[in-house]
Amino acid sequence: METVTETAGEELLDDRQPLYRLEGVDRYFRVGSAEVRAVDHVDLELYPGELVAIEGPSGSGKSTMLQLLGALDRPTRGSVVFDDRDLSKLGETELTSIRARDIGFVFQAFNLIPTLTASENVELAMVPLGGGRSERRERAAALLGQVGLSERARHLPSLLSGGEQQRVAIARAMANRPRVILADEPTGNLDSRSAEEIGAILRSLAADAGVTVIVVTHSEAVAGWASRRLAMRDGQLAERPAVAPVPEG
Amino acid sequence: MFQKGYLLNELRRRWGRTLVTALGLAVGVGLVIGIIGVSQGLSRAQNSVLSPLQAIGTDILVTRVAGATQTATGGTAGPAAGGFFGPGAGGGGAGGGQGGGGGFATLNTSDASALLAEDSNVTTDLSKLGAAGTRFTHDFFLSSTLLSFDQQAVTETASVPGVASTVAGLTQLVEHQTGTVPTQTATFQTGGETLTATVTPAPVTAAEQAGVQSCLAKNGVQFGGRDAGTTGTARQGPDRAGGGRGFGALQDCLPDRIKSYTASIRTAQRSITQAVNPPSTVINTTSYTAAGIDPANPGAGLVTTAQLVSGRWIGATAPTEVLLNQSYANQHSLAPGAQLPINGTSYTVVGLVKPTLSGSIADVYFPLGTLQGLAGKTGRITQILVKVKSASSVNAVAGEIQRRLPGATVITTQSLANQVTGSLKDAKKLTDSLGGVLGVIVVASAFVIAMLLTLSSIGKRVREIGTLRAIGWSRGRVVRQILAETVGIGLVAGILGIALGFAASAAVSAFSPTLQATAQGVATFGGSSLSGLFGQSRSVASTSTTIHLTAPVQALTLAVGVGLAVLGGLIAGGVGAARAARLSPAEALRNLA
Repeated sequence: METVTETAGEELLDDRQPLYRLEGVDRYFRVGSAEVRAVDHVDLELYPGELVAIEGPSGSGKSTMLQLLGALDRPTRGSVVFDDRDLSKLGETELTSIRARDIGFVFQAFNLIPTLTASENVELAMVPLGGGRSERRERAAALLGQVGLSERARHLPSLLSGGEQQRVAIARAMANRPRVILADEPTGNLDSRSAEEIGAILRSLAADAGVTVIVVTHSEAVAGWASRRLAMRDGQLAERPAVAPVPEG
Repeated sequence: MFQKGYLLNELRRRWGRTLVTALGLAVGVGLVIGIIGVSQGLSRAQNSVLSPLQAIGTDILVTRVAGATQTATGGTAGPAAGGFFGPGAGGGGAGGGQGGGGGFATLNTSDASALLAEDSNVTTDLSKLGAAGTRFTHDFFLSSTLLSFDQQAVTETASVPGVASTVAGLTQLVEHQTGTVPTQTATFQTGGETLTATVTPAPVTAAEQAGVQSCLAKNGVQFGGRDAGTTGTARQGPDRAGGGRGFGALQDCLPDRIKSYTASIRTAQRSITQAVNPPSTVINTTSYTAAGIDPANPGAGLVTTAQLVSGRWIGATAPTEVLLNQSYANQHSLAPGAQLPINGTSYTVVGLVKPTLSGSIADVYFPLGTLQGLAGKTGRITQILVKVKSASSVNAVAGEIQRRLPGATVITTQSLANQVTGSLKDAKKLTDSLGGVLGVIVVASAFVIAMLLTLSSIGKRVREIGTLRAIGWSRGRVVRQILAETVGIGLVAGILGIALGFAASAAVSAFSPTLQATAQGVATFGGSSLSGLFGQSRSVASTSTTIHLTAPVQALTLAVGVGLAVLGGLIAGGVGAARAARLSPAEALRNLA
């Protein structure tokens, strides 16, 4: 009985605990003799279930920021604590494991494997987690159903429209039941209608599934979905006043 | 390990890349299969030239070749007890020198006369062939370049330790002559000459005169002079009366010189040249080769039952049954059942054979005794085929045979191999040395091509690799996947390579380069012109064999080919995967922007 109570209490506490805590994060790149400060002294906390938009012009460091959050890259200085683990101190294997279990990526160019069908692309993200092939196939079918592509499961990416491809990519990002989805300009290659569909899915992920969704964009429309907006300029991050989601029609 | 579906889809849906990379490897593999095939073809060709002995289950061939020096054992070859070609005869014994022609120093008399008579029956004596105008057919059996020796040598050889079996063989060159007996008599008549001698005796001397007178006087014949006064009646009377008596007395009283005249008369010397019609006739000479085999020993010998292609083997006690070489039979349209009349006896062809012992391939195979009788070589043979108990003792046994049979030519399969020259050997050397290098170069270039293509493919798949890493694929998993892909390409290449290898092999066989192999100093049997039988041809002949090259493809070769292709895939995949592994996912994704 005691144990149950304690666990319940911790879960309540967890809710208020940040998923990410960034302290004094620098990420510099050496280009020739010059040093580019892609991320320059960033402090940030992100909470579960947030839909965060990071806005800013090209070259402001948005994508680098996303890679640091996605355990794809390590900071030059400072710490990126994800789920109580400092990513800057973890090895490649552990980072891979975190990416496999807790993180989903959505790319501007979709990055689907061109030789695999929609279903196979989704299944690919479940491969590192183990499990049977039929299990993977079933989950892929369910996920494609969630993004409205049940009919398209057996299509190759080249036979899908941009919006459909991005929905496959979102299904792939959701395949491992991640705690965070990182989307880099997810609507950059899409028409506004497709973009809106993508936006709806991402909002629902954050709101209904409690997934932290971080969207890098310079589209005002996309940023409009966010519960929290961050602006990046020259590697530095600034909080912008949150704008309530604009309900469409 | 790796994702099979992903792998298959990669290979299938990127078939262009798969095919190009695989073709690069396949060309290399195909060439290697071709090179191996050519090399094996050469080995096969060499074997067909070099291993005729092995083909009939023989390890050592003992022959006697005119002019051959002792080989094999070299210096140790002193004559053993007694002469070789007549064991126990004691002929040369201790005296038989080490030097020179060894064997001949130890000839006993019977061997020497047999050797002298070796080819003596070749003279065509037209006068003994029958009446003029009759057709004649005669077969002459000659030893040609292989000299005969006493059959007792077989027993001697069989007693050498390590010898498993021995079989005697006799090979003869047969000159088959047909023609018409020509007219060849000339009639000479002598006598009937008249000889006339005219002699003028020398004048009677005074002494002879006196002698005659006294003789006449004794016989009552008076000559004038003292009786001149009383000539008249006296002369008349007695003259008449004694007329007859007077001449008879004269005859008696003449000197012996005149009474009996004798002289030797020599007639003039003359050469009588008469044009006798030269015996003009057309004699057709064809030659074939004959070999004597032991009908009771069909598993060994110059030809064996294994080489029988039709008909049956010679009966154990059937002296008039013969076997024919298949090619000879075809040339002369002969089949089992045919009759061969030879020197008055009809021989029945009972079977056709396809002999393999090059250098001793005969056209007609007789029972040994029959051929010895036909050739007038009773108890003599030209070959001993020796089988040894263990392959490793061949050289030792050959040495011992050589020691016991000085003057013999002892050939082992290996020594035969060492003596072969010609384009076949050159080609073999070339493939052995250059073929290996060429193979390595070809394979290495194929590997490099596959590597470059794989690297280029990896370069184009940076985004894919970055994506896989981002969705949680570990470095190892990506590496394994790439390796599996290239190995898959290697397998495809292996299959294509096999096809190319077969094509290369077929091309070699189709063009079929001709190769020559010449075995020097090998006892051979043949030579068909009569003129060649005498004088200089009695030397060590060399056999030249022309062989058409083929490039066989063997299962092992194919396995090697596929193995190479897969290895090529692994190497290319390894290089590509290393490149992919070095790629940091952040960089891979950043590069796309």
